[in-house]
Amino acid sequence: MYEILSSIMKYIFITIIYLFIYGIIRLIYLDISSMGAKGKHGMKKGKNLPYIKLINRREDLGFKVEETYTLDGNMELGRSNKNDIVIKDPYVSGKHVRFTVHDGRTSMQDLNSTNGSFVNGERLGRDPVYLRDGDKIHIGQMDFLYVEN
Amino acid sequence: MLIASYKRPVSLVVLADILAFGLLFFYREPHDFYILGAGLLIITLIAGTYLFIVKKELGDEYLFLIVSMLASVGFIMIYRLNRGLGFKQIVWFSGGIVLFFLSYFIYIRIKIWNKLMYAYAFASFGLFLVTLVFGSNIKGSTNWIVIKGFSFQPSELIKILFIFTLACYLTHSEQIFLNALTLKLKQIKIKGRIALMAIVYMFMGFLVMQRDWGTALLFFIIYITMMYVFDADMKFLLLNVIIAALGGTAGYFALYHIRVRVVTWLNPWADIAGKGYQITQSLFAIGSGGFFGTGLGMGRPDYIPEVTTDFIFSAICEEMGIFGGVAVILLYFLLAYRGIKIVLKTGDTFKKAVALGITCMFGFQTFIIIGGVIKLIPLTGITLPFISYGGSSLTTSFIQLGILEAVSREGGQDEGSISDEGR
Repeated sequence: MYEILSSIMKYIFITIIYLFIYGIIRLIYLDISSMGAKGKHGMKKGKNLPYIKLINRREDLGFKVEETYTLDGNMELGRSNKNDIVIKDPYVSGKHVRFTVHDGRTSMQDLNSTNGSFVNGERLGRDPVYLRDGDKIHIGQMDFLYVEN
Repeated sequence: MLIASYKRPVSLVVLADILAFGLLFFYREPHDFYILGAGLLIITLIAGTYLFIVKKELGDEYLFLIVSMLASVGFIMIYRLNRGLGFKQIVWFSGGIVLFFLSYFIYIRIKIWNKLMYAYAFASFGLFLVTLVFGSNIKGSTNWIVIKGFSFQPSELIKILFIFTLACYLTHSEQIFLNALTLKLKQIKIKGRIALMAIVYMFMGFLVMQRDWGTALLFFIIYITMMYVFDADMKFLLLNVIIAALGGTAGYFALYHIRVRVVTWLNPWADIAGKGYQITQSLFAIGSGGFFGTGLGMGRPDYIPEVTTDFIFSAICEEMGIFGGVAVILLYFLLAYRGIKIVLKTGDTFKKAVALGITCMFGFQTFIIIGGVIKLIPLTGITLPFISYGGSSLTTSFIQLGILEAVSREGGQDEGSISDEGR
């Protein structure tokens, strides 16, 4: 009886240990890609471009997202790969929101997304709004901070 | 409700423990109800500590996760080998968690760790002397102090003091040299280094006197690594390596002990029944496990001497298979990775040095003992951190982990300022 139990258990146990290792390596992968993102951001920072910074802990989100996204010109954020900023958050629409940087001011326009976009807790209508330094942006499951240099 | 998924590694540790302790319940006849209680305690401790670390944001959360998985494998194996030691190990683990938090908070509270170099060195030498005078000889090494039936190994505590001594030197090398401040700067540096070398070799000398070769080797590797990282002077490193090589060769010819180790490493089969017994039994055990092992409780790891301490890795390989053994090694890799990450994140040199020292301690200790039992390098008896049975070893490892955790929190706090430096 014990022999059978033990023989079955050894496979289960090894599977669990490897799943655990996979889980940790996955988190480490997210970690390393964040270090790369920081470097990229550091290079672009010389131009004094505005950027949005993730407030959530990246590990709590189940998808790949970078720590910061630098905004420049017209940029669309969404789940589909055609966007400039692609985030595979299930609560983000295919085309979700557009950021436009013009004359040193950034405007943000919701592209008729299902779950909406929020600035400082208020849901955006159809018209673009201008962002100010320190604004809190909520998209899908993520919270960003808008930073101007 | 707990959902076991790879996205939440803590639930996998809990699941693994539930299954393993459940299996252990059926292992002995009559069924052992105490092990269920002990299992419940362990699971509560692991989950509670993890949640506490995450909720209170005490720093890196993966360190504890990885260690809890390693320790779980450890209990399971030790209980299966020896019921009494298994329960003792569970007690040590509980004590270790208390010490983990204690060392965490004490380390954060006290700000003068980097100015006490002489205190660390003298405390270590004091401990060494006490061990030499009052120590008892257990299993060939005079490195145990027995007080009223309670025995502990001061060399485990000295490991921490050694790291702190090195870190102090690397932060404030002038500390070592109080009387000759009038000398030119370059000379001070050279002399300070030589003085440090003398201190390090004194540490190693004491260990050699206790016949604790493994720990002496460990200290030397850590010393070299730290000097390489913080003070990369190839000539000086080469000098150290040459001295060590000469010392090793002299030891080989002068001491029977070391010669036996090397001979059994080169060819253990020549004397299977005698000198090569340990290592050959270990190799038989690893070989008989195959890919998935014989299953818990179905192999015969009890043929290996010292199976609960030095040779526990062979027992894991026999009963959980080569996959289990590789998993353990991978877990240590991840632990070392997290440690190095903390070192990179931290700005302060002293904290960097302490974190690096602790990470190296875990990493090299694992390498030396696993390398020894699989006959990759000559066997020297030291414990496998967090897995091997041993109160001193487990609790000291937890103190080190607490310090590493404390460093990781402080490193995380000034993360912003580091990224501004344009790494």
